[in-house]
Amino acid sequence: MLDNLLLGLAAALHLKQFFFMTLGTVIGLWVGVLPGLGAPVAMAILIPFTFSMDPLSALLMLASISVGGAFGGSVTSILLNIPGEASSAATSYDGYPMAQQGNAKVAMGLSAGASMVAGIIGVLILMFASAPVAKASLAFSPAEYFALAILGLTVVSVAALGSTVKGLAMGALGIAISLIGVDSILGTERYTFGSVYLLDGVSFVPVMVGLFAITELIDMVIAGGTIAKAGKLDGSLWKGFWGTFKYPFVLIQSTAVGAFLGMIPGIGATAANFLAYGIAMRSSKHPELFGKGAPEGVIAPEASNNSCIPTSLIPALTLGIPGGVTSAILLVAVTLQGLRPGPMLFTSNPELVWGFFMGLLIGAVMATLLYLVMIPWFALITVVRIELMAPMLLIITLFGAYANDRNMMDVFVAIFFGLFGYFARRHGYPLISLIIGLILGKLAEGSFAQALMISDHDYSVFFLRPLSAAIFALCLILVLWPGVKKRIGHGGAEAT
Amino acid sequence: MNARARSFWREEIALVALLFAFFAGIVCFALPLPFDARLFPLVIGGAGILLTLAIAAVELRRPLADVPLPPADDPAATVGWPRFLTALLCAPAFGLLLWLFGFVVASLAAMLAMPILMDYPHRRQIVVVAIVTVVVLTVLCPFLLDVSLPRGVVGDWLVDKLFPDI
Repeated sequence: MLDNLLLGLAAALHLKQFFFMTLGTVIGLWVGVLPGLGAPVAMAILIPFTFSMDPLSALLMLASISVGGAFGGSVTSILLNIPGEASSAATSYDGYPMAQQGNAKVAMGLSAGASMVAGIIGVLILMFASAPVAKASLAFSPAEYFALAILGLTVVSVAALGSTVKGLAMGALGIAISLIGVDSILGTERYTFGSVYLLDGVSFVPVMVGLFAITELIDMVIAGGTIAKAGKLDGSLWKGFWGTFKYPFVLIQSTAVGAFLGMIPGIGATAANFLAYGIAMRSSKHPELFGKGAPEGVIAPEASNNSCIPTSLIPALTLGIPGGVTSAILLVAVTLQGLRPGPMLFTSNPELVWGFFMGLLIGAVMATLLYLVMIPWFALITVVRIELMAPMLLIITLFGAYANDRNMMDVFVAIFFGLFGYFARRHGYPLISLIIGLILGKLAEGSFAQALMISDHDYSVFFLRPLSAAIFALCLILVLWPGVKKRIGHGGAEAT
Repeated sequence: MNARARSFWREEIALVALLFAFFAGIVCFALPLPFDARLFPLVIGGAGILLTLAIAAVELRRPLADVPLPPADDPAATVGWPRFLTALLCAPAFGLLLWLFGFVVASLAAMLAMPILMDYPHRRQIVVVAIVTVVVLTVLCPFLLDVSLPRGVVGDWLVDKLFPDI
């Protein structure tokens, strides 16, 4: 372990990695401040820029965007009562009242302190839990991998806002899109209709650019205007930062909530944010102060969403099953760099894996410093006119899709998925399920076929192995539970 | 059911129909494939068809009075159709211009036309921002992405005609 830590430290303490981490954090802070334009959008736009980078720089830059986004998301929550990121929504409950009381900078300092501590603890959990999980996953057979892929998709679909059936349909759509191209088992052409472009399948990059960036752009163009009239900051940033440590119980409790929820695919930082806030309020001696500018009301949501980000990488890196949008995008970046997530990643690329972990650790401190130093400037971004910003983002986004493979078809694919994603999201179809289906499609089909080959086409292999049977049972419970709960509720209501 | 709710409901049905057609296509085009290549597509396509039928059943059995309205915070509900069309068509129009005329023309057109279509009043500011942005992106993008800027079908044809030796 110590050898790996030193190896990772040596890899991360490189000037080049510092540069890309700083760049990623600054971009993350910038997009985090802008409501609607969250870290996933920036990560999707910038994925094509990572092709010519080495894998560690690419991963650290993308992960830094995610961390910076979580930090920046709190700014507009506190200043304007408009969450920059969904995962910072609960921060506004007490952050905004603090700003109204003339303590905006104190609230931001609290947010920075909580985010830094939680981020560091989250990365430490990622470091110490990943290797054992990766080792345990070596015992999994293809049947278990197939069951895990279905579980990942089910949890994401159930956890996503809106209807579970719509989530599952989007997951199936993602898997179905992944079937286009040459079949990985027999090498048979499927759904290509003679197109050379489709032989390699539909690339992740244009789909992600379309679903995350173009859909947001459409919303931005419709909304227009500016986010705020002026970015005004009062109070003392450092007073807030050190004030975080006056509430160690809330800090640790909320970090633990976020770290635990991060490890479960599909739950994500938004749920962690609200849950940690609720728990902090219930466990407080003065719950009546919550919603009126209580410091714990800022610490709890910020600690939970920042500890959630690193731990959501545990299932992604060890099993290849992304837990949320940002880990899905990071997983795509790993794949595009020619690497395969899973236990082999830890043994064949220890320098990359441990360098990435150490980089995240350094990044948590770096993001805090950049946040404290640069936030007054970032607050000014909220006054930039969307009418001028939207066309710039459109150009960068679609040119990024083109640069993926120097192919105009990728631009049209991105546009198609952007328009489809806009209408799908309007009607409550979770886009994350489609992306996760697309990512898991190859894993699901490969393990499905391998399991059947090993068992001589005996379909009971998925249900006779205890672990895969248990995972499938869990999937079934997850899908049926909302309906059962509703029925029990109705029964109870009728009885009374 | 008012007109807004009706058009929202029609959108939903169109979306379900699109998904159903896609999954039906996955099943139909899988049938001629060898057994091992068609098995998984049939499973996924079949599951997709069942799921879309379940969504359709919910939508079609819903009483007309219960048809949901677009979300209250939906910005599309508050703007006029010119802004809505601008939002929907800006990306396809940019894609078309990029394909036909290349990066510089498409970018300039987007930077000049989009703010005007979004009712931004300061024309001089639009022109200055457009020129600066396009120049900066034209210089930076090939360097950052390690890719030459697309000249478009028309641009390539012109280069072939005017500079046949290049």
